[in-house]
Amino acid sequence: MLWLARRIGISICLVWIVASIVFLAIRLIPGNPAELLLSQGGVAPDPRAVTELKRELGLDRPLWTQYWASMDDLLHGNLGNSLEDGTPVMSEVLFRLPRTLELIFAAGLFAALVGVPAGTLAANRQGGLFDRFAGWLAGLALAVPVFVTGTLLILLFAVNLQWMPAGGYVPFLQNPLQHLVLLAMPALTIGAGLAAAVFRMTRSAVLDVARRDHVRAARAKGLSPFRVLRRHVLRNAMLPVVTVFGLQLGALLGGTVLVEYVFNWPGLSSLLVEAVNARDYTEVQGIVLVISVLFVALNLLIDLIYAALDPRVRLQ
Amino acid sequence: MRRFPWLAAMAVCVIALTAVLAPVLLLASPVRIDIAHRLGGASAAHPLGRDELGRDELSRLIWGARSSLTVAFGASLLAGVIGIGFGVLGGFFRGVVELLTVRTMDIVLCFPPLLLALLVVTVLGPGIGTLIPVLALLFLPGFTRVAYAGVLATRALDYVEAVRVLGVHPTRIMLRTILPNIGGPLFVQFSLAVAAGVILESGLSFLGLGVVPPTPSWGLMIGAARATMTQDPALLLWPCLALSGTVLSINALCDGLGERADPHGVVRWRRSGLLGALLPGLAPPAGAVLALADLTVAIETPSGTIHPVREVSLSVGAGETLALVGESGSGKTLTGLALLGVLPDAARVTTGAAWLEGREILRLDPAARRTLTGSRLAMIFQDPTSSLNPLHRVGAQIVEAIRAHQRIGRRAACIRALSLLRKVGIADPEQRLDAFPHELSGGMRQRVMIAIAIANEPRLIVADEPTTALDVTIQAQILDLLATLQRTSGLAMIFITHSLPVVAEIAERVAVMYAGEIVEEGAVAEVFAEPRHPYTSALLASAPDEGGSPPRPIPGTIPQPHALPKGCAFTPRCPRVLAACEATHPPLLAIAAGHRSRCIRATEA
Amino acid sequence: MVLSRRAVLSAGAALPLLRATRARAASPPEVLTFGLSSYPPNLHPWINAGTAAGTVVLMHHRGLVSYAPDGTIQGEVAEHWESDGHTGWVFHLRPALFHNGAAVDSAAVKWSFEQIAAPNSTAYMRAQFQGIERIETPDAKTMRVIMKQPTATFPDWLAPFYASIVVPGTTARGKLPVGCGPFVLKSYERGVSVTGSAFPKYYKPGLPKLKEIRFIAYPDENLRVAALQAGNVDLIEYVPWQSMTAIEANPKLKMQSTFGPFMYLTFNARSGPFKDPRVRQAVAFAVKREDIVKSAFYGRGAPLRGVPIPKGTPFYDAKLADFWTYDPARAKKLLAEAGFPSGFSATLLSTAQYGMHKITAEVVQQDLAAIGITVRLNLPDWATRVALGNRGQYEFAVMGSAAESNDPDGLTPLLDGRLSASYERSYDLVVPGLHRLLAEGRAEFNAAKRKAIYDKVQELVLKDTPIAGLCWRSQAYAMQKMVEGFQNLPGALTFYSGYTLEDTSLA
Repeated sequence: MLWLARRIGISICLVWIVASIVFLAIRLIPGNPAELLLSQGGVAPDPRAVTELKRELGLDRPLWTQYWASMDDLLHGNLGNSLEDGTPVMSEVLFRLPRTLELIFAAGLFAALVGVPAGTLAANRQGGLFDRFAGWLAGLALAVPVFVTGTLLILLFAVNLQWMPAGGYVPFLQNPLQHLVLLAMPALTIGAGLAAAVFRMTRSAVLDVARRDHVRAARAKGLSPFRVLRRHVLRNAMLPVVTVFGLQLGALLGGTVLVEYVFNWPGLSSLLVEAVNARDYTEVQGIVLVISVLFVALNLLIDLIYAALDPRVRLQ
Repeated sequence: MRRFPWLAAMAVCVIALTAVLAPVLLLASPVRIDIAHRLGGASAAHPLGRDELGRDELSRLIWGARSSLTVAFGASLLAGVIGIGFGVLGGFFRGVVELLTVRTMDIVLCFPPLLLALLVVTVLGPGIGTLIPVLALLFLPGFTRVAYAGVLATRALDYVEAVRVLGVHPTRIMLRTILPNIGGPLFVQFSLAVAAGVILESGLSFLGLGVVPPTPSWGLMIGAARATMTQDPALLLWPCLALSGTVLSINALCDGLGERADPHGVVRWRRSGLLGALLPGLAPPAGAVLALADLTVAIETPSGTIHPVREVSLSVGAGETLALVGESGSGKTLTGLALLGVLPDAARVTTGAAWLEGREILRLDPAARRTLTGSRLAMIFQDPTSSLNPLHRVGAQIVEAIRAHQRIGRRAACIRALSLLRKVGIADPEQRLDAFPHELSGGMRQRVMIAIAIANEPRLIVADEPTTALDVTIQAQILDLLATLQRTSGLAMIFITHSLPVVAEIAERVAVMYAGEIVEEGAVAEVFAEPRHPYTSALLASAPDEGGSPPRPIPGTIPQPHALPKGCAFTPRCPRVLAACEATHPPLLAIAAGHRSRCIRATEA
Repeated sequence: MVLSRRAVLSAGAALPLLRATRARAASPPEVLTFGLSSYPPNLHPWINAGTAAGTVVLMHHRGLVSYAPDGTIQGEVAEHWESDGHTGWVFHLRPALFHNGAAVDSAAVKWSFEQIAAPNSTAYMRAQFQGIERIETPDAKTMRVIMKQPTATFPDWLAPFYASIVVPGTTARGKLPVGCGPFVLKSYERGVSVTGSAFPKYYKPGLPKLKEIRFIAYPDENLRVAALQAGNVDLIEYVPWQSMTAIEANPKLKMQSTFGPFMYLTFNARSGPFKDPRVRQAVAFAVKREDIVKSAFYGRGAPLRGVPIPKGTPFYDAKLADFWTYDPARAKKLLAEAGFPSGFSATLLSTAQYGMHKITAEVVQQDLAAIGITVRLNLPDWATRVALGNRGQYEFAVMGSAAESNDPDGLTPLLDGRLSASYERSYDLVVPGLHRLLAEGRAEFNAAKRKAIYDKVQELVLKDTPIAGLCWRSQAYAMQKMVEGFQNLPGALTFYSGYTLEDTSLA
């Protein structure tokens, strides 16, 4: 329990540091949001209008006052309002986040379903035909950037074969089938690289575990190879795989930018790019913060899963 | 050990060299626009054709490598230098320094990589000058952690401690002793960072946040070629190939080096060949629980097939204990594993026969063999700590062994497990059943291993140095336990050990192994009193003796299995060697009833 | 009306069902899917937030007048209008309702115009509207606008959407003004889509023909074309030039294009070499414009060697139109005269976000190297590029735009350095006499006299080069064959083609 409390404490500290860094970074950027906001029409704004808007947005207050106000808001789960149209950032983030999470989840599922069995098989047949073939395929999947894979998939399936629409998004409740069809291509694009990573991790973890003494001892009990594999090799090999896989999924939280762009998937990453392009600083700040908090929470979750999987951790 | 990954290394070198040499390669200008010939196909002057502005594609590809690799290498190098600095400082000084250098990296890790790059580049503006520090920041935690972990591991090593005690300045210790030791993992980390750098650079350039045109870069070229994808697909193909090829080569180099550093090496998987049919006329010696004849085990290694166990014949009767002794690497454990049928993947039995209660087992199909393994014959391993699966409860591991061979329910198996724990002398068996292995003491873990071994009332137990990992008082308890079990159930035991006092205590007969062969076999008392092989004598002399004379270690080492001498394997270390010893390989001959030796001078003494 | 950001999930749909379901429907489909080039950064009608925003604004806003498909000015809320005395214009309003049910009366028009001209306004027409002396509303259906100076082109000012009429009091920051256009904004999801449904009480009977329009943003031009080819959208704007041939060849699709927008260079005349008109002119003589047409626009364009007045309009003058020929020798001579015999180095601002801007910059860079000007490129994202342009933080820049109308007065925002700073025009670059000449042209009602004035304007611009024209570009909409009634408005008006959405139907 102490371990958990400490871990949560560290996580909260990290979030606070991240929030402070984001707060400062945004205010250190040259150029002021009020001026940018008023330049949207394509004409340089009147200085009086800029001053007025700055007051309206509270940007003329001393930095400390702004900082405390901002931290206070955060404590109450308030990420502020979009500079652009005044919408609460939190609601916008909550609206977009599930889509990115869905994408990551689908990609992760694909990666796990393909990567773990393939990695296990390759490790079991180390140096065999499958191992070598899958190894090359994984190398390739890791080496081809997602925007190339994505472009080729669209060219093939949407334009040439016309099997599926060229990207986009339909809410699940509106048309479940269409939703899944549209999810497939971007998820596959991300999933390919992820599966390759999972494959490699699984393969090396299985190889590592398979030579351990307890596996030999399990074989000496006369257990079937499948049972040895499942209970004594895979179960143990999953420990490092879960950790690294979790981190990779976390990195995707802000890393689906390219795929969302290529497939017109309106997730959190595209919202971030839009906010950056529009210089909507409160929104940028809010999104970055939410992603970071999720990332930290995910790390905590990974540690918890690790503890659940490995009884030895609980002692510490 | 595996061969150095020459192919991948050469590919990486060629790519890097091409990029470095771009200015002197007499290429067409990569930025010279020639609109009249835009999208021009391949020609002698422009082997890969021209791009959407009529620039030479090959030249852009090579100059693109230059900018892509400059960013990737630059960022990795920067991150490497700072990260190593941080990691080494943090690992060496600990305390506040560690907090400032290593723990701060957690903050960087809170930002997903692409997000961080995107933000910084948008704010600072695109260009190589921004990309390098941004990517370096992303790679920093990786380097710091690798260096930090390396330092922590190295710092504990004796010689680093020794240098510290000598009062050498910390900086010098770090530079002279620690850095060279953590070089391997750092190099791998560096290669990974370069590969990631190439990919990230292309992604950011693709989004218009990377390298600034007209400087060619692979990401920019891919982005531009997407527009003309239908008119000239080759323009998309070349930069993709270059990018993927580079990343692939770097990754392959990394993998190769990683596997090379891996002490286990790579074993090529192949279908296990079945043993040839048993020669007619060979029959089991009557009365023995186990009889082993001419067992030879082969292992495939990159440098050829070796035979770490050769023509080993043994037999052990009910209630009898045969000790198998020899130095490490003599093939004792492999012999045991071959009997159980749990040899490592790389090893296989090539010849020989083993009769368990009169039934040949080496030629059984794997499924039939498994019905015997763990039930009729069982094994106790050297290190109970590593031989129990740390993730499963002790009870589950015993139950699993019971239910592998007995068709009983989980509850019944639990009750049986309880009685087994009681039988091996564990107090509080109800509670221990629910314990994880790490919650037990070493002696208790070995008792659990013994409980697993006797779970199905085996006829033969192979005990592989079961007491080596335990402290002395526990050793005696375990030996007592084994002896008691053997007495009560009349099982046969092969006791593998290198400890001669233990042999004297527990075994009736002893077989001495050297370099994969049995060199002498006989009753314990007879062999110990009057060894008939120089290796046995040397072994006895090297054992600590209560009587006074100090132990004399055997000079030299066991020959490597792939470099065995032509004649007797012991010749390089034998004090009584003759020319004949080196000429021919001596057979194992009976020199008295129940006493065999492989020395040609066995009968001289 | 405060809209939730997306009223209903289902309404914010980003894609229609697959085409197959539509083909099976018995009656003609009434929902049009429109592929936008980007999500409108702002849906306020009075600001210039780009083409995509303009199209969406035109879906739900109307002003006093608009453009007919042939480019002439037609009445909207104003049924007819006439000039009144020297400086006055009188508009007679037709019966019309706002989307909230209120009547569109002269008071609402007056309020809208005054807000546009207000000191803290960010409206695009704010500077021009300073020319309004006062607005009188004799009755609810009549309004009189008195200008400070005679303004022949006042209706031209009102025809773009920048002077849309909104319900008074609905323009607060963070709210969307309520208009009186053919479609009501039903829902929107920022960054993704906007949906409008037909306004049943629209003042033109029988219009709009469609029941609903869904705008979906496809920022990736390849995907936008792919979506059209795959039949996921009915109509796309900003057809990428490289795809035009393929779309024309596709039997299921049709394309409408016009030469309206053009590329040009703007200069910062506050300091540095571009202060000198000879240097600007040297740059204008040094660029191979055909190369830009071929590379950035895949041949879909034409060199622009003078002031951007389209061929075929009354103000076009062949002699003046081909002034800036490719003449590096002359360019070098001009540079030498300006005191730069061996050239100089400068930074060219453009953006990497749009291929045409980037490629144009690359070609200019290479051509200027030939006369000794070493050009570095600064290619930030579009938002940064606009901000830098507005603030004058650049030396010279690539720009693409269109005149505000096909009347040469529509060029005023690009040429007149006396207006407040904008990324569309050169920074702090005042051509002596130009401001007065443009005002004269605006005040003159006689066609022949106007032609003479604008000839002088052209001569002045060619001599002083406040902007250097590069090339006209083809601006195209592409659609499924069954889309009818949509019209790409001619020339500079192409960005207002959204006016014809009310006539658009799916056969």
